[in-house]
Amino acid sequence: MADFSWNTQSALEKALVPGRHGVAGTQAGVTLEEVRDISLVQVMARRGRAAETAKAAKKLFGIEPPRAPGAAVARNATLIWSGPDQFIVFSARQADGQFAKVSKAFAGIASLSDQSDGRCLIRIGGPRARQALAKFCSLDLDDKAFPLGAAATTSIDHTAMNIWRGADGTDGHAVFNMLVFTSFADSLWHTILDSSLEYGVQASSAHAA
Amino acid sequence: MSGYSRSEPLARTAREEANIRTAVTSASQSHRLPGDGMIDRRSPLRFSFDGKAMTGFVGDTLASALVANGVKLVARSFKYHRPRGIVTAGSEEPSALVEMRTGARREPNTRATTQELYDGLIANSQNRWPSLRHDLMSINQLFAPIFVAGFYYKTFMWPAKFWESIYEPMIRRAAGLGKSAELPDPDHYDKAWAHCDVLVVGGGPAGLSAALAAGRAGSRVILVEEDTLLGGRLLSDGGEIDGMDAREWLRSTTRELVSLPNVRIMTRTALFGVYDGGTYAALERVSDNVAMPDRHQVRQRLWRIVARRSVVTAGAIERPIVFPGNDRPGVMMASAVRTYVNRFAALPGKRLALFTNNDDGWRTAETIQRAGAHIVAVIDPRREVPAQHRRLVDTYDLRVLAGVVSDVKGGVDGVRSIVVTNNRNGQTQRIEADCLAVSGGWNPNVGLSCFHRGKPIWREDIAAFVPGGAPEGMATAGAANGELSLGACLRDGHSAGAKAAAECGAAGKPGEASKADEEGYGIAPLWHVKGKGKAFVDFQHDVTASDVTLAQREGFESVEHLKRYTTLGMATDQGKTSNINGLAIMAEATGRTIPETGTTIYRPPYAPVAIGAFAGHHREENFHAWRLTPSHHWAAKQGAVFVDTGLWKRAQWYPRAGEKDWLESVSREVLAVRNGVGFCDVSTLGKVDVRGADAGVFLDRVYINAFSSLAVGKARYGLMLREDGIVMDDGTTSRLAEDHYFLTTTTAKAGPVMQHLEFCRQILFPDLDVQLTSATDQWAQFSIAGPNTRKLLQALVDPSEDLTNEGFPFMGVREVKLRGGVIARLFRISFSGEMAFEISVPARYGAAMAENLMIAGKPYGVTPYGTEALGVMRIEKGHVAGPELNGTTTADDLGLGKMMSKKKDFIGRVMAGREALVAPNRQVVVGVKPTDKARRLRSGAHVVPRGEIPGPKTDQGYVTSVCFSPVLDQWIGLGLVERGRERIGEIVRIHDPLRSEDYEAEICSPVFYDPEGVRQRG
Repeated sequence: MADFSWNTQSALEKALVPGRHGVAGTQAGVTLEEVRDISLVQVMARRGRAAETAKAAKKLFGIEPPRAPGAAVARNATLIWSGPDQFIVFSARQADGQFAKVSKAFAGIASLSDQSDGRCLIRIGGPRARQALAKFCSLDLDDKAFPLGAAATTSIDHTAMNIWRGADGTDGHAVFNMLVFTSFADSLWHTILDSSLEYGVQASSAHAA
Repeated sequence: MSGYSRSEPLARTAREEANIRTAVTSASQSHRLPGDGMIDRRSPLRFSFDGKAMTGFVGDTLASALVANGVKLVARSFKYHRPRGIVTAGSEEPSALVEMRTGARREPNTRATTQELYDGLIANSQNRWPSLRHDLMSINQLFAPIFVAGFYYKTFMWPAKFWESIYEPMIRRAAGLGKSAELPDPDHYDKAWAHCDVLVVGGGPAGLSAALAAGRAGSRVILVEEDTLLGGRLLSDGGEIDGMDAREWLRSTTRELVSLPNVRIMTRTALFGVYDGGTYAALERVSDNVAMPDRHQVRQRLWRIVARRSVVTAGAIERPIVFPGNDRPGVMMASAVRTYVNRFAALPGKRLALFTNNDDGWRTAETIQRAGAHIVAVIDPRREVPAQHRRLVDTYDLRVLAGVVSDVKGGVDGVRSIVVTNNRNGQTQRIEADCLAVSGGWNPNVGLSCFHRGKPIWREDIAAFVPGGAPEGMATAGAANGELSLGACLRDGHSAGAKAAAECGAAGKPGEASKADEEGYGIAPLWHVKGKGKAFVDFQHDVTASDVTLAQREGFESVEHLKRYTTLGMATDQGKTSNINGLAIMAEATGRTIPETGTTIYRPPYAPVAIGAFAGHHREENFHAWRLTPSHHWAAKQGAVFVDTGLWKRAQWYPRAGEKDWLESVSREVLAVRNGVGFCDVSTLGKVDVRGADAGVFLDRVYINAFSSLAVGKARYGLMLREDGIVMDDGTTSRLAEDHYFLTTTTAKAGPVMQHLEFCRQILFPDLDVQLTSATDQWAQFSIAGPNTRKLLQALVDPSEDLTNEGFPFMGVREVKLRGGVIARLFRISFSGEMAFEISVPARYGAAMAENLMIAGKPYGVTPYGTEALGVMRIEKGHVAGPELNGTTTADDLGLGKMMSKKKDFIGRVMAGREALVAPNRQVVVGVKPTDKARRLRSGAHVVPRGEIPGPKTDQGYVTSVCFSPVLDQWIGLGLVERGRERIGEIVRIHDPLRSEDYEAEICSPVFYDPEGVRQRG
């Protein structure tokens, strides 16, 4: 028998319709982008092994993981704080074996869980991103309160969300990365889109770089 | 967020359209003054009230436009249907409530005083029949003597059953306010968060000063103002600030505030609640100023504002005086008269009388005279005209009477004359007038500062309550703080703003406070002018002074009792103009002082908030978030019918052409599995990665059975108890490595179990090295079941994989390679009782997996099945699920008592041993099947011994789960039955009073199908 084809499907297969939505105008107030083909590894230090975990991370990624809410950007990965003595490693998905490679580096000192398919990454930017975010995120995302590299574990529509601020967009506006549970993504995309319609939305998807 | 005149025409009847068109050409505004005020005369607007076409201007409220059109009668009162007019010019309005818009957008009880005029506005009066002028319901007035406080309690006591069927509907028809729309609201609402250092509530002179001081100092400031414009009383009373005209100062101050990037100004936004931790709630009326919201725009937005400090500069509300006839249309608050004249260039009357007990009221005389109208008399109960007003009296040759207004004569058209009683000799005289301006003094707006049970403090010098004990982080300033002069408001606001900014660590300079006169404010309190005729305290709920004294005579002396007995202050205006007068009259009746009498408790919301605003985005399909399985879109393409299970949408069955009902589809799916092979998406089961050196020990403690002894590569069914010994949840847990278990939960309990496990890990067993991660969404998991399962799988997996009983025994678990290269996890577990596997792949392959299962299983007639077929097969097999794990059952009740390990401790072990939980007569899980094979069994039906009369004493349990078993060709079920396991074979009575059914059934083993378990081990 012939091999089976294993096409992948995003959780936003139906919800995300690329292009303009909401109020028309020259510039969209909000840009929404699903980042596909991501790799996410949840790293949790074994009991009493936090220092060694940090050291292993430094060795593997060239940076230490954040000790407090924040996102540390390395050359090939971003380490996002997700709780005491734990962090998420976000990177672009490469060939299979990525998880095994990271697992090896932390063997015996941290517990790892592959979450690449457990979460959906949505990026929100544009001049009105903060106004749209204010409708579904209770955090203060002002420059002063949530500067570049800030991160938080918070909620959206009563479910969990990891949010962190990456580099500003090419338009000079702040960009926020939102990691949400895959099964909720379709629903949350509608919430986010509906919240943004009055500002005009440009929706798209992109491969993780 | 704001923006003028985004008006769009809305659907109107042809006649209304025609009426409105005529109105543009015929100037209807008989009471419009020549001056500009704050309206834009270049922008006329058309509107209709009770079908009559009129015009107004941009900048008008509905109330000011009605005033300009000479309309006095705008409403009928709640109980007596008395004619009512416009009393105030603000959000405290008790009387001028109208129905706005039509059809699905009809909105009752809208205050005409806060409704901005827009082109095409349609408003109607309410609570009248057949018309506002000729309201037959006003016959209620004749019965006024019996419609007193406590009327309902006294009159409709007996017979009790008449209350719901006759009295209440009758009263509701006769008394009431507007009618809400009967169609779903077509508009959208949303909710948003805002954050700041300093929240300033109210944009009058004090609020502007506070915002400016805090803004200059560098704080992040939010200034909320319920009005369309900033300025507060400056818009109506003007004045001189820093040597400039108040409006000039307002312009320059607004300019500076707008220029500060750290200051956010939110107009049309009313703060209505104060909550813990510096959280405030406000309602923004985004599109109430247009007929229909713009596309993609909301009607209203609910704001939750988190502020480190707040400065409440919410101003003060002018107090009416209670005297006979004080509710006639044309009796208006003095400050409102000034607002209509100065801000809206609309004259409430041509011959006005002024009744004031304080100096501020006197300002009205000048406003009216300057507007070119005539003041017929100023009535002031004080002996002497205040020195500062003598000049006014001389300039305009005012007729000043030392006395009180003791009656108001008039009809539906409003005031025609007033009766003045002389203070010294008690003589009365009648004075012709078409409007009476009244001022009883000012009540600082203490509401917000009292929402956390702060008790307001009485200040004798201004005869009013001022804030006392505001919530942490809140300061009050300006008129809200009892500072009633412009100069003091500016100074007080500035200093409160500067202080709040400093407390938030702002290092900048707040600048100097603006300066204005600190004019004196003299007042001689006057609450109630006694006399014949109804004197109203609460206009909206028709509560009179005699109702208050009646309540006192009947023993309802506490203000809280007074409120409930008379309904004083319980209307939509929450007594903003009536509460203080009511308690002052009560104080007088009981011989106590006002502070001794006290105020009722202040609670949010300060102003009415539409339920739609609280719901926001969360209505209809967005009522709550939904979760989709990885194969959802595939299943939808197959025509699956979905069911909501918790937040999940799950395929319930897959109907095929020609099937007449769900039962036919479900039975086909069951038989397809039993005789061939089928698959079902079971990704909704909760999945938890349990890792760490102590993972096994941890699981031993949370499950009743052992897991540390489980071999790597094996799965085991586990049951966990709550601390109280009752079953919490069940599921299979596999050991994937020495230090890695993969735990599954039921769909319903995934969240609670994860919480429970985290609690155990962090609080109960912090010494254990164990880490938990939810992996529910990571995996697409399918159950593949039926005698042909292995054949199907063999086509799917790499040829090197051995799936025989030897190579993959029952309860075995391991990773397998699939054709095409994807790695999957394969679990040999069965819920259906058939030869079955569960296979899981990363969620992104979920849709492909469903498609490939169809391809691989095509030669065997593979059938996707839904949750109904899943349920049928588990009942046939006697597996317990949600209806049996219902929070009342023990492990033994479920027939799983033997699983409870005696070699180890586990959560719930001790409490499960309590006497009642091990009693021999407990209800336990058994099978139930009707003796008549054609009979449908229903869950919820009660089990009663044969020959007994059903009742609490004979009740022995109930049916928990039912299904039609296509294998047995009859309805079967599981039930919880007293001593059930000892009664196999007994015929019992099934009693179902809900569906009026009564029949017999046999108690049997819960395992209806393949009791030896041969098939699943196949």
